[in-house]
Amino acid sequence: MVPLSLMRTGDKAVVRAIQGTGHLAKTLGQLGIIIGIELTVIQKANQSVIVRIGESRYALGAGAASMVLVEAQK
Amino acid sequence: MLLEPGQQAWCWSKHKNERNMNDIRILLAGNPNVGKTTLFNSLCGVHQHTGNYPGVTVEIKEGKRQVNEHSITVSDLPGTYSLSAFTPDEQVARDALLTSRPDAVVQIIDATNVERNLFLTTQLLEIGIPVVIALNMCDLADEQGITIDAECLEKNLKVPVVRIVARTGEGIEELVDTIIRVTSSKTPGNPRELEYSHSIATHVTEIGAFLGSHTSLPGNLSPQYAAIRLLEGDECLEKTLHDQGLVIPFIDTSDPAERDGIAEDILLARYHLAEEITTCSVRCTMGRVMPADLIDHVLTHRIFGIPIFLSCMWFAFQLTFSAANPFLVGIEQIFGYFTEVMNSIDMDPFVRSFLADGVIGGVGSVLVFVPNIFIMFLLLSILEDTGYLARAAFVMDRLMHSIGLHGRSFIPFLIGFGCNVPAIMATRTLQSRADRIITIITIPFMSCAARLPVYILFAGVFFGAAAGNVIFFLYVLGILVAVLSALIFRRLVFKGEPSPFIMELPPYRRPSGYAAALHMWYKGREYLKRAGIVIFGGVLVVWALATLPAGVEYGSAESLAGIIGEAVQPLFAPLGFNWQLVVGLIFGFIAKEVVVGSLGTLYGGEEMLESSLAADPTLTPVVALAFMVFVLLYLPCVAALGVIRQEMGSWRWTGIAIGWGILMAYIVAYIALHAGSFIIGA
Ligand SMILES: Nc1nc2c(ncn2[C@@H]2O[C@H](COP(=O)(O)OP(=O)(O)OP(=O)(O)O)[C@@H](O)[C@H]2O)c(=O)[nH]1
Ligand SMILES: [Mg+2]
Repeated sequence: MVPLSLMRTGDKAVVRAIQGTGHLAKTLGQLGIIIGIELTVIQKANQSVIVRIGESRYALGAGAASMVLVEAQK
Repeated sequence: MLLEPGQQAWCWSKHKNERNMNDIRILLAGNPNVGKTTLFNSLCGVHQHTGNYPGVTVEIKEGKRQVNEHSITVSDLPGTYSLSAFTPDEQVARDALLTSRPDAVVQIIDATNVERNLFLTTQLLEIGIPVVIALNMCDLADEQGITIDAECLEKNLKVPVVRIVARTGEGIEELVDTIIRVTSSKTPGNPRELEYSHSIATHVTEIGAFLGSHTSLPGNLSPQYAAIRLLEGDECLEKTLHDQGLVIPFIDTSDPAERDGIAEDILLARYHLAEEITTCSVRCTMGRVMPADLIDHVLTHRIFGIPIFLSCMWFAFQLTFSAANPFLVGIEQIFGYFTEVMNSIDMDPFVRSFLADGVIGGVGSVLVFVPNIFIMFLLLSILEDTGYLARAAFVMDRLMHSIGLHGRSFIPFLIGFGCNVPAIMATRTLQSRADRIITIITIPFMSCAARLPVYILFAGVFFGAAAGNVIFFLYVLGILVAVLSALIFRRLVFKGEPSPFIMELPPYRRPSGYAAALHMWYKGREYLKRAGIVIFGGVLVVWALATLPAGVEYGSAESLAGIIGEAVQPLFAPLGFNWQLVVGLIFGFIAKEVVVGSLGTLYGGEEMLESSLAADPTLTPVVALAFMVFVLLYLPCVAALGVIRQEMGSWRWTGIAIGWGILMAYIVAYIALHAGSFIIGA
């Protein structure tokens, strides 16, 4: 498991854990960034990422991206 | 408004009385950016602001539609992903849904993204209000080869589903009929509800029974539903109940980890249901092509992202001026013609002064800049419709973060270049109060369209060919002062980090030229109306002050305007402003255009204004520069001030925001004056 902020453009990954329980973690949950979901990293700029989940795209700043722990998929 | 948990944003009780059978009240709810406001506009024949990014609507707007004997009151809500509500705009939506007791809720669902939208549906179906689903953007779904079996959806959700295209009005008649049908049958229907696992269901029953026998719930929530909300972690409701001194079973007796586990289970159950329904009702016949990924790849690039954004801005800036020029010349000619006609007609000198100095001089000198403002609104509207705005926020996030601001604040900043009022409202999309306060304090430094006339006038008169650069410098200066202020407030007052950036990126959409033109027209018309009422009014007062007391030379130091101006002028002596400029500043508080209007009046008319300014020995280019800087920074207009107060929710912070602006204006104008003299002298 690695933080989403360490993934690279084009990587596919499955969310394995969300760190933290505050509003931020809950916000992620409401957007559909939940355990078990598959996402594709479509942009990586420094520690920030843009991911695609299904039909939606989300931009996550460095702080948010490091809360999401993922497992890379081949 | 800065709501604390437990505080309610909206009180709807005023609507409940005196309602007749044929009055129907509905709420338009849904995820952000799914077309709620577009539907609202078609339903009610109005023109509320829409845009292709989440968080365009941040307050409730009401409209009406009359269908035969039914009068339907429609409320357009801010978008929300769920009913948990962590930002003020989401709280507004949640409070309306939970406490206003409408006759029906219409959930607008983006047909190209059904699954994510259904998450909210699972929550709406539990509230106990009839729900109608409007499947919007069916045109885009067709284009992308997404077929949705509406009947299957209907069968699974057990609520009516209507396909619409809000943009063209397709399907709206059917939607209205469905709403009337649903609200007139008095049975609430029997929507699909989430099946909770055994352990959750036991907690719901236990808490529900407790609530049912111990308290009356706010907004007439059912005890069962309140129990579910508590288990999901509704802090607002929990606080209300705790304030009544209740000790809620499970909620107050179990450990936080266990509660979090339950909340998570409910979340997953919702997604599970959403997925199940989507699988059986949505088919995608075409392979996914993702051109947007490619565009995103370039536009949000780590290195090119910011240069691309800056070039866009530079281009827009140039266009605002060059494209407006032909119109500008035309308008000046028209006013020149009026003045000529007036001079050739024999009339009372008093009336002549009123028309020439007051009307043409004051209002005319402001109207000259209308083309610039129209073009600016047009460009902003195109920017808002393409979907780029959200990307720009992402690109700027790191920079914003480093100066202590949230990346999302970037959107209010850009809107602020058009007008500060909606920009300040847009801070409702920020989660943390500290982020919101800092953003609100810094927004007035974004040079709004109303300040443009001041720059164009002064830069044109005193800087000739360099005018464009001077104006660009002023915009940049505003941004720099904002950055500095943000840094100061973050370091000294709100220590800590801005909250992390999370934002949905909308799909790219071709901006419709028609929609953009329409938007420009409505914004521009508002501006013209303001010019008509506020600016005209302000200018008339200045004209009267310049004429009175009877017998003094018009606009002289002996007139009332002169007396007032000279009384205050010493305060501004260090900046080199003469009394005319000071009068302009005082009245500019009403609206910044009035600065130019007042000067037009005091300096003898639109025709004469430029030459009189140039001829005034007390005015030099550096004083003009200091004056422009001061106008850029000093005070938000009355309207902006009102919203600052409303959104800050405290007079103290409003006072700080105003005081900070005046302080910055004075200091920076002073520096500009001396640095300017030094450079010119050298
Ligand atoms: N193609 C197409 N575009 C649409 C349709 N309905 C809305 N749009 C576009 O979708 C974007 C979002 O529309 P809005 O009405 O502002 O969305 P909203 O739900 O009010 O958004 P928030 O106020 O941010 O929650 C705008 O750019 C609209 O022009 C539709 O039926 N078809
Ligand atoms: Mg809206």
